Amino acid sequence: MLKIVVCVKQVPDTTEVRIDPETNTLIREGVPAIVNPFDAHATQAAQHLKEKYGAHLTVLSMGPPQAVEAIKKCVSMGVDRGILLSDRAFAGADTWATSYALTAGLRRIADEQGMDLVLCGKQAIDGDTAQVGPGIARRLGWPQITYAIGIPEVDAEAGTITVERRLENGVEVVKARLPAVVTVVEEINELEYAPLPEMIRAARYEPEVWTAGDLEVEEQFLGLSGSPTTVSEIFPPPQPEAGEIIAGGRDDPAAAVQELVDKLIQRVEAGTAQQRSEV
Amino acid sequence: MTETQVAEVGTTETGIPDTLEFDVIVVGAGPAGLAAGTVCARAGLNTIIIERGRKPGTKNVMGGVLYTRPTAQVWPEFWKEAPLERCVIEQNQWIMTEDSVIKMGYRSPHFAEGVPNCFTVLRVKIDQYFAEQAEAAGALIINETKVDEVLQDDGRVVGVRTGRPDGDVYAPVVILAEGVNPQLTCALGMQEDLKPDIAAVTVKEVLRLDPEIIEERFGLNEGEGATIEMFGASTRGMLGTAFLYTNQNSLSLGLGVLLSEFAEIPDTPHDLLQELKHHPAVAPLIEGAEPAEYMAHLIPEGGYNEMPALFGHGVMITGDAAQLVNGLHREGSNHAILSGKTAAETAIDAHEKGKFSAQVLGHYRQRLEETAPTIADLRKYRKATKFMEHHPVLSVYPALAAYAFEEMLTVDDKTKRQKQWEIIKEALRRRKPWGMAWDAIDGGLSFI
Amino acid sequence: MSNDPVIMKPDANKGLDDRLYTVKYEVDEENSHLSVIDPEACIRCKKKPCISKCPAEVYRWLEDEQVLEIAYENCLECGTCRVVCPYDNFEWEYPRGGFGVAYKFG
Repeated sequence: MLKIVVCVKQVPDTTEVRIDPETNTLIREGVPAIVNPFDAHATQAAQHLKEKYGAHLTVLSMGPPQAVEAIKKCVSMGVDRGILLSDRAFAGADTWATSYALTAGLRRIADEQGMDLVLCGKQAIDGDTAQVGPGIARRLGWPQITYAIGIPEVDAEAGTITVERRLENGVEVVKARLPAVVTVVEEINELEYAPLPEMIRAARYEPEVWTAGDLEVEEQFLGLSGSPTTVSEIFPPPQPEAGEIIAGGRDDPAAAVQELVDKLIQRVEAGTAQQRSEV
Repeated sequence: MTETQVAEVGTTETGIPDTLEFDVIVVGAGPAGLAAGTVCARAGLNTIIIERGRKPGTKNVMGGVLYTRPTAQVWPEFWKEAPLERCVIEQNQWIMTEDSVIKMGYRSPHFAEGVPNCFTVLRVKIDQYFAEQAEAAGALIINETKVDEVLQDDGRVVGVRTGRPDGDVYAPVVILAEGVNPQLTCALGMQEDLKPDIAAVTVKEVLRLDPEIIEERFGLNEGEGATIEMFGASTRGMLGTAFLYTNQNSLSLGLGVLLSEFAEIPDTPHDLLQELKHHPAVAPLIEGAEPAEYMAHLIPEGGYNEMPALFGHGVMITGDAAQLVNGLHREGSNHAILSGKTAAETAIDAHEKGKFSAQVLGHYRQRLEETAPTIADLRKYRKATKFMEHHPVLSVYPALAAYAFEEMLTVDDKTKRQKQWEIIKEALRRRKPWGMAWDAIDGGLSFI
Repeated sequence: MSNDPVIMKPDANKGLDDRLYTVKYEVDEENSHLSVIDPEACIRCKKKPCISKCPAEVYRWLEDEQVLEIAYENCLECGTCRVVCPYDNFEWEYPRGGFGVAYKFG
């Protein structure tokens, strides 16, 4: 049977994160933790492969103990086994140290039960780096296919996978040898509404928790001390100038349009005048 | 617990997979549902709590003052570890006119001693804490799942149907804690839907403010809290209250108005909230606070008179769905928690007997009557809402009292005796003597 | 002082958009949980209290089409529209589990 591992991350719902304008720090109060949306789509893609070919699905995550919630959510989507890498030694990891630890976890999973395919989300919405998936592929020495919008075929006998990739100007169809790493974008599928029995199974499921001691790793490459990059500053992008709403368009469209035209002309004239004075 | 012969591995004799059969189903993870779920699970019942929000609390709104003693009956000493906002040591009642206010209040360190009387809370945090307690007791909480229908068989409630694929679950007892909009109890024919004269719409805003500023403005020490309830012009004389509560690093400002009166005027709830924010007595207290969240909810004001049948075969109704709210005393969550606890105890008894008939579950109401102060209080105030509705008590009297205060406290060329006469004349101009006499008698009778 | 009912300074309903901006929603796209049973009753309804009593401005009367527009995405799920409707004309239910308003403080 096809053995698939999905790597997921628990992230703050960044649509809810605001930046304190004075301290430039993230206001996290009341912000819920969710499964990184790209990773949820990767999990759904794995579930579709399970339906199509029959497969054993494992989900692997790294994070604080609360991140078991993200794993349970994936279990409700049809995942069979969930493992959380959780240890203070992993804390503060950048993408380099994260892919190092996750790869160590993947190797242990491969030893225990075999592994044909690793699926990841394209990137996490809290960091937007898109580096961990490719990092894992490089460390495993496996082919990597990014930006997947479809997985039309997995041929276990021939040991190949066919993936459709979203490019800027079209779709590229790639066939690769298994085992491989594939990262997906949201376009790949629609998230399904989990059946109640699966919700109940997930609520009862206890994910396995592995510490650094459970993995073949070198301390020096883990967490903050193993991270060659640091975030030096966080700041919000400059606010665009507030727009102006010209009201009354419903009742008197002609007057509203006239007002808009007048304002535009004024702006152009003001701009030209400024250019002249600059000259 | 009922003895169930297992027909084959994984299914019960009814043919339902045993993973979908429970001893108790609780609908809704608010204070009532979580109290019920905790108590059932502690007794070893296989308990499932079904919540439509993405986490417990995320659909819930209250002022919010949480009373310690009733809550501690389910979660002993919770106040030592729960995410509470501030311990309320000062409670104020303000009678408002358009631009003035008569303030009454009581402040006492005793409120914080021993078992503190009450705390301000934010529901999302506190409900998630209660949910963790329910889970620790062994209850299974299923979030993001709405119950669409209560399943019945031959007049008996046997389970619920959720909106998820393969969404049926079964239990001999269903405890409905669905909240103020009683969709499921109505569908069961156990009560009628809310009407405008027994429902108040409430809007509230959470305003973020530094703890030091809150403590300075309200005269509080660290961790101490104050509450202000406002009557009169704060709801434009309509039946309702406005409130301002201090949280750890925010304020909760809101108001609730009875819909039957509110429907008579063109304004929106948000209009009233904006007005309140600009009241000269309120504005300085919230100045500089940053809006963190806006919310709305209904409060059931029917009280004792509108209480539904609280039980049927295999079903019990708790909390807001059972109209268990004392609007005059801003009490709701305490009644919800006690009703949830009492329903759970009844369910435990029923399982011990192996009987789930209306007769057995009827003990729920009996116990609730005995559990001071839940139903007793509601019975006491059963006429109060009707008395206050369309009554001058919240419109004429605040302005009159303010006029009297202003006259007596202003030093000018009139003698005090002259001022007293003018106040009496003004009072009689605004409300005839027999009207006042009737207000006193009627009011007295309604509250006794 | 007059005997008029007490009315504080009116303030236009400005700022509701800013208020709603603080609210987190998980919108169930193309799946409205609110609908009108009989559109004719809305035309007959003079006061249309659902519009003014909704705390989130979900409802708007489209004069040209003579239809109630329902912005269910803004709904705070309080139930006021259903209770206040003089014609009991709402098909009202909560959004699908997991969708709709998701309070952060409550």
